[in-house]
Amino acid sequence: MVNYIVSGLERSGTSMMMQILYLGGMKVAFDHKRKPDEHNPKGYFELEGGKIINRLMDGSFPIEKYDDMVIKVTAYGLKFLPKGNYKIIYMLRDLDEIMASMSKMIGEKLGEEDKKAFDKLNKYALKLLEERGDIDYITVRYDKVIENPRREIERINNFLGGILDVEAAIKAVDPSLYRNRKEVKR
Amino acid sequence: MVEDKKYTTVSIPTPLFKKIEERIKGTGFTSVSSYVTYVLREIIAEDEESEEAFSKEDEERVKERLRALGYLD
Repeated sequence: MVNYIVSGLERSGTSMMMQILYLGGMKVAFDHKRKPDEHNPKGYFELEGGKIINRLMDGSFPIEKYDDMVIKVTAYGLKFLPKGNYKIIYMLRDLDEIMASMSKMIGEKLGEEDKKAFDKLNKYALKLLEERGDIDYITVRYDKVIENPRREIERINNFLGGILDVEAAIKAVDPSLYRNRKEVKR
Repeated sequence: MVEDKKYTTVSIPTPLFKKIEERIKGTGFTSVSSYVTYVLREIIAEDEESEEAFSKEDEERVKERLRALGYLD
């Protein structure tokens, strides 16, 4: 049994990665409780209407039902993953961009303390991935996927053992959805 | 430009110095200075680690934001 998981901080490109895997032919588990909106026009690709973390926290999420399937569990939820056999794609994105995107979604500007807390969560999650013996993982940078989808998807496909239809998966990458992009001063 | 010195001097009470001298006898520490440097490095590393750690306070802040984002009840 193996559970495939897409993870990362919220707004780090996890929905895009779910779509990549979906178009690439993997069995992706999600429901339609949370509808696509302006923040995620192509959908969230989540279970439990996005609130899978609650079910993982109380131990009621039946992860064994999702054998050989991809589910999305954002970074904080990794803390509550039961013992298993996982292959995890962990998304990374510039933290300022994540904060900007979260601020828009919440309708409130997140501050430095929020940024620090999410930075620590990110580091905590990466340490957990490194330390748990039942997890095999790869990190994927959101901006690199936008910059060179083929190269990154081939790298992911290699990690997954060559089960993706790379040509189909590439179609999920829509650079126009890379909003909240941090301006780089030259 | 003057280069920074690699070492500087700090003062500690003489009785403490003598206690450390006794303590490091037969150990790998060749001087009181090397022992004190080792201990201070350990303390600083511990502090830095706890500053970096995902604390209960950080966790509560994250949970509050995840609720607002619709990821937690």
